[in-house]
Amino acid sequence: MDALIYTAMSGAERALRGQQVHANNLANMDTTGFRANLELSTAVQLPGYGYDDRHMSNMQANAINGRQGTLKSTGRELDIAISGDGYFAVQGPTGEAYTRAGAVTLDADGTMTVNGMQLLGEGGPITLPPYRKIEIGQDGTVSILGQGATAEMQVIDKLKLVKAETSELTKNEAGLIVARDGQPLNADTTVQVRSGHLEGSNVSAIEEMVATMSLNRTFEVQMKMFKASDAMTEAGNRLIGG
Amino acid sequence: MNPAMWISKTGVQAQDAKLQAIANNLANANTVGYKKDRVVFEDLFYSVEQQPGTQRADNNTLAPTGVQLGNGTHMVGTQKVFSDGSAQITNRELDVAVVGNGFLQVRRPNGEPAYTRAGQLNKDANGVLINAQGLPLVPQITIPDGATSISIGDNGVVSVTLRGQNQPQQVGQLTLSSFINPTGLLALGENLYQETQASGAPTEGNPGDAQFGTLKQKALEGSNVQVVEEMVDMIAAQRTYEMNTKVLSAADNMLQYLAQAAR
Repeated sequence: MDALIYTAMSGAERALRGQQVHANNLANMDTTGFRANLELSTAVQLPGYGYDDRHMSNMQANAINGRQGTLKSTGRELDIAISGDGYFAVQGPTGEAYTRAGAVTLDADGTMTVNGMQLLGEGGPITLPPYRKIEIGQDGTVSILGQGATAEMQVIDKLKLVKAETSELTKNEAGLIVARDGQPLNADTTVQVRSGHLEGSNVSAIEEMVATMSLNRTFEVQMKMFKASDAMTEAGNRLIGG
Repeated sequence: MNPAMWISKTGVQAQDAKLQAIANNLANANTVGYKKDRVVFEDLFYSVEQQPGTQRADNNTLAPTGVQLGNGTHMVGTQKVFSDGSAQITNRELDVAVVGNGFLQVRRPNGEPAYTRAGQLNKDANGVLINAQGLPLVPQITIPDGATSISIGDNGVVSVTLRGQNQPQQVGQLTLSSFINPTGLLALGENLYQETQASGAPTEGNPGDAQFGTLKQKALEGSNVQVVEEMVDMIAAQRTYEMNTKVLSAADNMLQYLAQAAR
């Protein structure tokens, strides 16, 4: 059998699976703090007999896009966003992980959580006593106007904020951001927090739609190659059959 | 089948749910004490097909990247946003607005407590203060017959002036209940909320004390729905829905090409 059909197959499979990445990005266009996944493909040379012109396509998809999403003003005291680079640290199911989502809620004990995971401060999870007003500063300092009659803000803790090169980060199975080497990142004091804001997803609708269209057509081309390969084999069969 | 179809489906469903929340917010743009709902999404788990850093068999290099495919989006839940609504001055004696933290407590017909921010109070036949749905306030306050004017202080003290007397007389104290996590309250409809495990137990106190807000008589707290914001969200939700359906049809097209290729 001619090898052409297998080469075309690798291209078709890559288009099919690449579509999944873009479908996932578009499905998460409204997910707070979502980082778009990048889909890349590389050519893998397959040494053949006599001639070395077959290159299968191999898809890779675990890099993330570090572009900043749009900041939306919500006016809610517990909504926080990072302007510029950086991540919030949360206690994920498998240890410390990072996220840009900042719609903080409190659980029944007053512990700060994001999407059900505890938000980490410099001293671990942050538990707030009953308060009248809360303020989250630009450097991540959490202060409250507590029960007492005094009109003084009292500092509770400081959010753990980290920064890393996007190329050194990847997503884990839960969709949280982790370092590629699996090590926890160190706190960084240059990360800037904006309270009363949420960061939207950084998915670009245009890029995703264009990629979807282009993959769709790539797939069509591969199918044409399938047909061509089929026609060639059929012609060969006719020669033998007479 | 092409998994992109199911992934787009999660996106379409999510926007559907969001539109429902927006419709409800807009419908309640004029409901006293209404707190807007916000839908929160997160990305679904990822399927790791090839772990980054796996050793390639042919030589000793490590794969620099792997293959991770997402499975779409997922609605974590809806959150009530408890920011203060705008105050409306009504000049009705029995209207109170809570400014800041806290809920008024009422007793439901089954005896269970419920909490509300809507302060359109009324009197029943016996002079007992009830809310707009007819549920009595807790603690119960009775306005005596023949009261010519009722005043409610910022600290919740209710006093009345009786006919023929010039000194106001104190008849009760309105209290507020606060929760550490009001977002965790269960919305019952009728502007009422119920305590849950997530909200924590209520703390009761007098308005103006500790973490509690103050009361303002002759005013009502309007809904905190921002109409423009909802409209913008609605446009975004509609277009996101549309784009997800476009991927759905692109995925379908790919299957069609495939079906045509294999005769």
